[in-house]
Parts: sequence; structure tokens; C-alpha cells
Amino acid sequence: MNKILEIKNLSKSFDGGKAQAIDQVDFYVNQGDICAVVGESGSGKTTLIRLIAGLENPDQGKIIIKGKEVSSIKKVLVPEKRNIGMVFQEYALFPHLNVLENVMYGLAKRKDKKQRAEEVLALVGLKEYKERYAHELSGGQQQRVALARALAPEPSLLILDEPFSNLDAMMRTQLRNEIFNIIKKTGVTAIFVTHDTQDALAVADEILILQNGKLVQKDEASKLYHKPQSIYVASLFGNTVQLNKGLKNAFRCPLKEDCCHAIRNENISINVSDCEFVTTAKIIKRTFLGTHSQLLLKLDNGENLSVVTNEAVLGDELKIGFNSNDILAFDE
Amino acid sequence: MKQAGSKHINSLLESFFKLKRDINRWSFATLFILLIIAVPVFTIGIKLFDGPGQSWLHISDYLLPSYLKNSFYLAILCSIITILFGVSSAWLVTRYHFPFRKALEWLLIIPLAIPSYIVAYAYAGFFDYGGIYASFFEVFEIANAKLDIMNVFGLAFVLSISLFPYVYVSARAFFLNQAISLLEASRLLGVSERKSFVKLIIPLARPAVVAGLVLVLMEVLNDYGAAKYFGVNTFTTGIFRSWFSLEEPETAIYLSALLLILVFGLILIEKWQRRKIQYSSIKSANTKPNKKIILPKWQQFLICFTVLIPVVLGFFVPVWQLLIWAFKTFTQVLNPSLFWLSLQSFGIAFITAFFTVLFALVLLYFSKWNKITFIKNASKLGVLGYAIPGAVVAIGIMMPTLLIDKWLINQGLITQFLINGTLIALVYAYVVRFLAVAYQPLESSSLKVNNSIPDSSKILGMGNFKTFYKIEFPLIRAGMLSAFILVFIDTLKELPLTLILKPYHVNTLAVKAYEFASDEMVMQAAIPSLCIILTALIPVIFLNKLLLKNE
Repeated sequence: MNKILEIKNLSKSFDGGKAQAIDQVDFYVNQGDICAVVGESGSGKTTLIRLIAGLENPDQGKIIIKGKEVSSIKKVLVPEKRNIGMVFQEYALFPHLNVLENVMYGLAKRKDKKQRAEEVLALVGLKEYKERYAHELSGGQQQRVALARALAPEPSLLILDEPFSNLDAMMRTQLRNEIFNIIKKTGVTAIFVTHDTQDALAVADEILILQNGKLVQKDEASKLYHKPQSIYVASLFGNTVQLNKGLKNAFRCPLKEDCCHAIRNENISINVSDCEFVTTAKIIKRTFLGTHSQLLLKLDNGENLSVVTNEAVLGDELKIGFNSNDILAFDE
Repeated sequence: MKQAGSKHINSLLESFFKLKRDINRWSFATLFILLIIAVPVFTIGIKLFDGPGQSWLHISDYLLPSYLKNSFYLAILCSIITILFGVSSAWLVTRYHFPFRKALEWLLIIPLAIPSYIVAYAYAGFFDYGGIYASFFEVFEIANAKLDIMNVFGLAFVLSISLFPYVYVSARAFFLNQAISLLEASRLLGVSERKSFVKLIIPLARPAVVAGLVLVLMEVLNDYGAAKYFGVNTFTTGIFRSWFSLEEPETAIYLSALLLILVFGLILIEKWQRRKIQYSSIKSANTKPNKKIILPKWQQFLICFTVLIPVVLGFFVPVWQLLIWAFKTFTQVLNPSLFWLSLQSFGIAFITAFFTVLFALVLLYFSKWNKITFIKNASKLGVLGYAIPGAVVAIGIMMPTLLIDKWLINQGLITQFLINGTLIALVYAYVVRFLAVAYQPLESSSLKVNNSIPDSSKILGMGNFKTFYKIEFPLIRAGMLSAFILVFIDTLKELPLTLILKPYHVNTLAVKAYEFASDEMVMQAAIPSLCIILTALIPVIFLNKLLLKNE
């Protein structure tokens, strides 16, 4: 496989070293892959892509694009010479230019710029909108124009910064599929930043998890979900309870002490017939959430725990349990 | 030990590489511009080492106490009066409904169109023998009614009445943006309107009011024309006296240095009073038009009358006086040479506005394009020129330009002065002094352009200049226009700096008005003064339109 992007030991801090935004990050992205960068806000996602785009200079380490070193502590290639496409969170369409002019902006050096711009506009399905200005378009349309503008110069790498965060939940899924279908069609290598793990799970070939500027895990979606390397990663992909001593005792669950264990709330079942570890609990509070209910429970030994179920639960007391193959283990 | 040492060297090397990587031509260009702007302050600092002039002892023993005393009185009195007028009118127009409210809202700004020295001339005439004030009392057959305002109290009144709009504008901005929603919250918690105002609004408005007040005090310290005419000794008149009458630049420098310390002290106080108070910049989503309180009719008229007082005193009275004088003197003053003079004045203001906007743009964007944080922060210092009184800027520029010219002549490169005593030095000094006036509207309009827009342009293959030309320039045009107009008008009104640096054969409307007034021909000063006021009125209205738009 061809590596399009290589990041080596990259670090960046702000405020004269007081705020470490990116801390010794190492990874690579293969040609044609879609790679998601996931993390809480403040985990360094945006800094990472700004470094890749050349909008920030690193304190340490190297960035290599298509085998060419573009950032190091000795030199930094300016953004305009990196052949990167970028879609900003707020789309950043030029307000005084219409859609066609926006898309043609990056094609200044090409002879067939109008033709190429119309071609990409057709690709994103906005050919009829080419005379319009940004403020005359919906959020989703602006997004697609921004994508067309970024794709027009045929970048070797496409970066998307929180592409769906400004859209409402209804549009989000539809647009996500549309956008990534287009990206797949062009075959461009893409990195996208998101705080929403659903986005990452749905479309990414690989997912990078950042925590406090550190790369904590890089894997395929299913591996990340089933084999998270830390409780932080596990809880990004769904509510997770750490199995502390009290819980282990309550479920009479013989687990080694030198290892950290957790269980996803969704894997705690109220049908205990085929569960290995079982305990009884009192219901303190029921919250109806539409497709399912959330129950806040108090275990016999006083521990609190919440479970989700889509079945009706009668009475104040119930049995809950889980299986050993649902237990997540990390070395911490 | 050895390892630790080599680690140290490595990290030093790393920082060196990074500095070498990040420093670009914009870093140097930014530093160069800052240096040019800092020249007057440096000059004053360096020249202090030459020691004081012969009369320094005399001045420091006999005059300095009176300079200090007068400046202190002026500062206190002007603060009280401008706060009284500025804050009360700002509150009344934002909170209450009354007849002509909309008109008064912007009329309260127009005293700014009249330079304070012209207000001083007008009031001196107004209260003089045979003036409007005396003739008014003659109607009631009270003879010899004369109010002597040619003293420090009169000066404080005149300066306050022409400068209070600074406090008004900044207090009103605060009231409009935040105070009303806070007040509503407070009322909902069961606190009365009056109590909320005293306990909540007044303390919260303090940073905004002080910010406006600092501008007032800077103008007070900068004033020369009014103090000179009223015969009040201040630092600025002292600088002029040592420069022109005593011909002792060293003494002028010493006074300038003292004045600079006062001004920078003011700036520090302003920064200190805001130290933790970030709330003045809290943006509340107050998009709904705030509802005004509707009082009974007679109370509405009372408010209208109250708000009218500063407008009448600050604008209509002086203009009325000037119009009377203009009517009496137009046959002698209105002639082709006045026309020529106005043309020169406008020309100089135009050139100055052009270069000041250019410098402000360059400073703003070069410092953005430079990648070194330290230089970015330092670039903000460039706007401090506005705090330096005009007379000080003038002296700080007079000396180095003289040196450069002499050097050039010695080298045989030129035969007569190229910079000193020419338009170049004058425009240079204006640029230093008014850079902040242009910088602020440019900065705020460039802040409205989200960073990701120029970033997108760069990622799409355009360099800094192309990005500026194709993207930023069209988006900040409105800011550039208001910057240009503001500088134009400030230049037109400027007096002390112009008096010191203007080329011999060149004259401006402001200088002409000053010369008439100094030559006991204050009536003749009316027409050039009215020319300045009329020109200044246009942008004051324009500025207010912008302000209202931003609401």
C-alpha cells in the first residue's frame, strides 16, 4: 500500500509551551483510505489537521505528504504549495463570490477551469446553483459547495474539519452518506475530524483516537469497538462502566486485580437466564427515552448502576447480569 | 552532566532552527514599521540624556507646579463633567422614550465635530463684553454682565463640553448591548429600577465609562489651542513655550517626557481597572429591540430637555456664536486665499488618510502573516501613538528628521532639507499619531472575516498577497472607508502637531483659525472654523449610521 501521509513524532504546543495541543503523534494514512480523527473537544484534533495543512508550524517531528517532507523544525512548506483540499467546519465559502467562482478559485492555473468546476459541481449535484451566493444556500448545499471547491484542484489529500457539526440530526445521516459516496467516487484520500463516533464508525476505514494531544489508538471501526485499549476509548463509543471492586464483588465476578475491566451498559442484560454473572438490584429511577428506557439501579452492596432496556420492567426489584466475553480488559 | 549539557545544546539548537524556520519577511517588515512609529518616543528617551536646558531649573521651580496643578484640576473637573453629561444622556436615550429621542441619540455625538480650541474661541466670545451672554442680560437692563471664563475652570468646562461624547458613545454601547437584559433580569428578581441602576448598572458600566474617560483625558492633555487662548499653563503650552519662545529643545524634551509618563500612567490605570473585569466584553445575544420606558408626557419633556442641554452647550451655542462672527466678517475673510487654504488643508488630510490607512493595513496584515508570536503581540504597541500628545510626537520627529537631512546634505545627496520642514515630516507625524484611528475600524472589520476564509484561500493555492487582494480586501472595504474618513477628519482638526511641523509656505484651516484667534482677530477665525466643522459633520453622521447598523 502507498502511504499518502506520514506523521512522525509530531508535537505542537501553544502559549509558549503551556498548552500541549499535540503530543508526539505518529501515524500514516494509506492511499484511498478514509481516516477519522476522533476525540473530545480540546483533544488536539483541529490542531492536528491545521498542522497537516500547513496552517500551524510544529514544535517537533515531521509531516510527509506523498513522500515529500512538508513540515519539520527546519522548514515548513506554505499551505498554498501542499496540494491539500480542506473543508472547514463553517464551510468558509467566499461570501462575495458565487458558487461557480468559489469552485473555480483553486483552479487559477488551469486552462479548463470552468469546465472542471462545472464537472465537480455536477458531481455534488449543484450544477443548477452555480450563479448563487453562499447566503442563498442551505447549510447542506454550502457544505457540498465547500466539498466541490476542495475537490476541484484534485488534491492528494482531503481534510474535513467537523463536517457535520453544523447540521441538524435529521439531515446529518443523509448528508454524511452523500458526502462520503462522492469522496469514495473520486478515490481521494481523506482525513476527517469529528467528535461524533457514529460518523466515524459509519464511514471511516480507520479511526484515530486522540486524548489530550496523544494518539491513544488507531484501528478499524470494529476493532476499536470490541477491543478498545483504554476506558477512554471504550466510553467514546458508548456508555461504559468500569468494573470496580464493589461491582466485581456484587456480580461475584472473579477478575484479576492487576488489570482494569469495564462493561458497556448496553451489554448488561435483564434477561439473566444465559448470563454468567448475575446480581439483584433495586430500581431507583426509570427514564423513558422512546425506543428504550433507562433504569437507574442500586445494587445490594450500595453501588449504583444504570442499564438500558426496551422491555417493560415490572416491580421494584430485578436481576441483572452479563457474560464474560463482553468484558473489556485494558492494562492500566 | 555531559548528557544534560548536550541536551541543553540540542534544545537551544532546536529553538534556533524553529526561529529560523518561522521568521519571514513579514516579521522583519512588522518590526520595521513598529520602529518607524516608535521613533518619536525613542528620540525623547535618548535626548533625555543630553541633560535639561538652561531654563529647566526655573521651569521646574516656578512653572512645573502650576502645570501639574492645572493638569490635575483639568483632569478632575473634566472627568466629573464628561461623566455627568455622557453617562446620564446615554442612559436616558437607551432606557426612556421621549420626543425627538432618535434625533438626539445622534445629535449627542456631534459636539465631536468641533475641535475644542474652536469651542474655546466661541465661548470666550460668548461670555465677553458685547457677547451673546452680555446682550442677553442687557435686555433685562443688567449692565456689565460678564462671566470670566478665561481660567482653568472655564477651560475645563469648554473641554468637557466638546469631549463628553467619548464617554457618551462608550457608555451607550454598553447600555445598548448588555445593560438592558441585565436590568430586566434584576427586575424579575424583585429589585426596583432605581436600585438595579445603582447596584448593578453603574458598577458594570465602569470599564466602558473609564475607557471613554481615558480618551477624554488624552485629548485634554493633548490640547494646546484652548489652553493657550484661555491663558492656562499646561504641559502642552509649556512645551510650546520652551520650543518657540525660549528656543530650548532640551527643556521641551524634558516636559514631553513628563507628559508621556502621565499619559502612559493613564493607560496603565485603564488596563489595571479592567484587569479581571472581562464582563464588559461579554456578548449577549440581545437581538430584540429593547423596550423603552414610557413616562407621562411632562416627564418625557423633562428628559428631552435634560438631554438637550449638552447638545446645545456642545454644539449649538458655539456654532451660533461662530455664525454671528462669520456673518460679520465674511466680506474680509471669504477670498480666493481662503479657498486655496481649504484646498491645501483637504489635500494634506487626504494624503495623510491614505498613508495612515495603508500603514494600518500593513501593520495589521504583516503581523498576521508573520509566524512569531512575540512580534504579533508587539504589533499591538503600534497603536499607542494616539496616546502621545501631538506636540510630543512633533518634537520627537523634528529632531531625527533634522539629523537625517543634515547627514544627507553632508553626503552631497541633496542640497536642501528633504524631510524636515516638508510635508514628508508632517504626514509622517500624522501617521504616527493617527495610526490607531485607522487601525481600530480595520481590525474590527477584519475580525468579522472568519479566519477559515483566508485559510481556505491559501489552501486553494493563493499566497498572502493574492489572498488579501482577492478575498480580504473586498470584505473589509467598509472598514477601510470609515478608517479613511476618521483619519481625514482628525487631520483636518489637528492643531499642536501641525503648528510645529508644518512647512513654512503651507497652511491649514486649523492653523489659520488659530492664527486669527492669537492675533486678536477671533471673529475672523469663525469662517475657517465653520469650514472644519462642516466637513467634520459629514463623517460624524456617517459614523453614527455605522454604529446604528452594528446594533
